[in-house]
Amino acid sequence: MSTLTETPALTKKDFESNQDVRWCPGCGDYAVLAQIQKLMPTLGIPRENFAFISGIGCSSRFPYYMETYGMHSIHGRAPAIASGLKLARPELSVWVVTGDGDALAIGGNHFIHAMRRNIGLKIILLNNRIYGLTKGQYSPTSELGKKTKTTPLGSIDRPFSPVAVALGAGATFVARTVDADQAHMAQVLKRAAAHEGTAFVEIFQNCIVFNDGAYDAITDKSVRDDARLLLEHGKPLLFGKNRDKGIRLRGLEPEVVTLGENGVSAADLVVHDEAAEHGGLAFFLSQFDAPKFPVPLGVFRAVSQPSYEVMNEQLHADARERRGRGDLAALFNSGDTWTIK
Amino acid sequence: MALMITDECINCDVCEPECPNNAISQGDEIYVIDPAKCTECVGHYEESQCVAVCPVDCIVLDPNHAESKEQLHEKFLRLTATPA
Repeated sequence: MSTLTETPALTKKDFESNQDVRWCPGCGDYAVLAQIQKLMPTLGIPRENFAFISGIGCSSRFPYYMETYGMHSIHGRAPAIASGLKLARPELSVWVVTGDGDALAIGGNHFIHAMRRNIGLKIILLNNRIYGLTKGQYSPTSELGKKTKTTPLGSIDRPFSPVAVALGAGATFVARTVDADQAHMAQVLKRAAAHEGTAFVEIFQNCIVFNDGAYDAITDKSVRDDARLLLEHGKPLLFGKNRDKGIRLRGLEPEVVTLGENGVSAADLVVHDEAAEHGGLAFFLSQFDAPKFPVPLGVFRAVSQPSYEVMNEQLHADARERRGRGDLAALFNSGDTWTIK
Repeated sequence: MALMITDECINCDVCEPECPNNAISQGDEIYVIDPAKCTECVGHYEESQCVAVCPVDCIVLDPNHAESKEQLHEKFLRLTATPA
């Protein structure tokens, strides 16, 4: 008789909590939740080693619905809290679920510094380009001219590209996908889960109540192939219903070209390289937007750099080797101390 | 009639675990119902479980698979019969 207890294989069901999901009917968040719950049991990580940390917003209800450890934390501060957790327990798989308001407005500071440090967090940003929880004010990703409750004459704020912000902050894994394309989302999330260091994924997500149809151009089957560019490492930047359009670089100027026109062939197109150290191509792609360019989806950048928690562990190990184990009481009494009378 | 999922589906995956016949699965674009397994919940429940939970009301009767209550019940018996 074996003395070992067999651990039964986990399924999606094991990651569903008993809470009723309280997003609006038709919200894109459901599809993201389903794909993440499907991904979890495939990662070979014990369920007790997952933690989902969120801030405030519709997306931040996520931890309630995951049968894992988690924290619904402070507005914009999820990356800071998750960073603390990852440093204290580097063996955990720590996920941050956030939104365009939580990550880019109130939490912009924490967001960029998590990526600058390359700490091992998976940061999933559900971008619906609106403040949904507070009923429809413009967000840092709302487009110029957008009319909302707080911009009745149209917004004059220029929007952030979350991908460009992440790249600018030095993120080592940057990707984008869309709620309506479950196969693509599954593939991108799987890549993010496997990345060492900060993995950032922007998910275009439809807010059916306050910003419905924001991504129709890239999700509607009849038009999407001409409006989106699926990035594949090592493959030319090719798109279009007939796969006959591509991206060519003229010096530092990208342009859309049609194969077969003016002698353009596939050999003239830019080949996607997500592993390029400089990230220059990734930044070019992060600037692509309709109507001039197709919207890129997929992995913009995936490079390998030492993660913060590993470097931190090394720092401690080296210090212990040089000077032995620390003694807090001795440290307190080591320098100038005085008593206030 | 068997049920079918229309392209209003948002891939939320709420219906799939509710189906007592395991007739629902993730398709290429949206979730799909296998008409050979769908009994509209006849034999299991009073109402179709997927229709009850769908947040966008995109599950409708499949006009290509017209079946009476009796036929659905026979299908239920076939599906739940223990193999000889």
